[in-house]
Amino acid sequence: MEAPPVSVMPVTGGTINMMEYLLQGSVLDQALESLLHRLRGLCDNMEPEIFADHELVYLLKGQQGNPFLLRARRSLSHPAAPWHLRYLGQPEVGDKSRHALVRNCVDVAASHSLPDFLNEMGFRMDHEFVAKGHIFRRGALKVVVSKLSRVLVPGNTENTEPLSLSSLVELSVLAPAGQDTVSEDMRSFAEQLKPLVHLEKIDPKRHM
Amino acid sequence: MGVTCVCQLPLAEGKSVQQTIDILHKKLEQLGAVKQGSFTVDCETYHATGNASGQPTKLLYVMHNSETPLSCLALFEGGPCLTADGNFDVLMIKLKSHFQNAKGHKVESRGSRYRYCDFLIKVGAVTMSSSARGISVEVEYCPCVVPGDCWNLMKEFMQSFLGPSIPELPSVFSSKPEGLYAPVDCVDTMTQYLELFGRVRKQQVLPGTTR
Repeated sequence: MEAPPVSVMPVTGGTINMMEYLLQGSVLDQALESLLHRLRGLCDNMEPEIFADHELVYLLKGQQGNPFLLRARRSLSHPAAPWHLRYLGQPEVGDKSRHALVRNCVDVAASHSLPDFLNEMGFRMDHEFVAKGHIFRRGALKVVVSKLSRVLVPGNTENTEPLSLSSLVELSVLAPAGQDTVSEDMRSFAEQLKPLVHLEKIDPKRHM
Repeated sequence: MGVTCVCQLPLAEGKSVQQTIDILHKKLEQLGAVKQGSFTVDCETYHATGNASGQPTKLLYVMHNSETPLSCLALFEGGPCLTADGNFDVLMIKLKSHFQNAKGHKVESRGSRYRYCDFLIKVGAVTMSSSARGISVEVEYCPCVVPGDCWNLMKEFMQSFLGPSIPELPSVFSSKPEGLYAPVDCVDTMTQYLELFGRVRKQQVLPGTTR
């Protein structure tokens, strides 16, 4: 019954802009076990965490410019958990020597009314997919190895087919803007995963 | 989190907003209520830009309640609502070219929080663009989450300090498909504040009450 603290200043003033540092690669299904085995050795967890998620990508078409993209993700293995809404900004250009892809990232936990709410805001679902795999952690570094599957009937996550014969491997760190040592740590970790997987900075625009 | 009732208190005869609030605080203290900190509830309005001409602009309200400091509630009047964490405000900043913040429309209720046994009473001065527009009173009966079970008790309690100005049963409870026996949640409280803020916005600025 104690009063929660009341802040006089608005919470939005001076929010730290979080940046996502990302390296991506892929591994053929035949080599997946070896990669998981090496990651188990290099990372913190005793046993890696398994996940099964359903992600929906929403677009808001404005009057001009590129459509605004939001990613809404929910867990298939924990249906009562909140939805995770994610906004990723344009990759920061400039420092070519920087080893990882850097972009602004906003993560919001949201209630189960998220899809209806996004539709009311004007967003339309562009595509959806199911991702299943493992999460490993090493300090602030997160490694996600996921098998992506196409959803054949919209909304039906039981009926899926794999997108490819590989799994996607992503090494990422969420840090406040300006921490340049992060990409160095990521590069040295990525070195330890060679030659099982080659993690590199992949510019999403070049593949559109 | 219990059953909450939010109502607007009319100004006492010949008194200002602050004076009316002080009179109410005295009544609560005489009753035996203890002041326990302060509270604030605010509501920001966003207009959707880029709508086809001829269509009415959709209004998106983003509300915060100090009782749940890490959350915010986003809703369309009469439409779906979303409970999200504090980062939703940051996301609205990123969406500024699609949703414009009508800064002059921000309404806020701020005041003291009183506790009397199992009740929480919050009396706030409702302000818009720093001018006082009215008084909100929120009464929460904490042990119960079903309005049908405690509405009579709440009415009796409110009568002891609000006198004749006690409100009717809030329409958020009676308009639910399961009626008065559906458990409440924070969305019901915020919907009541939204209705109050909407009435206050439409009212004229009260004479002699600008602070």
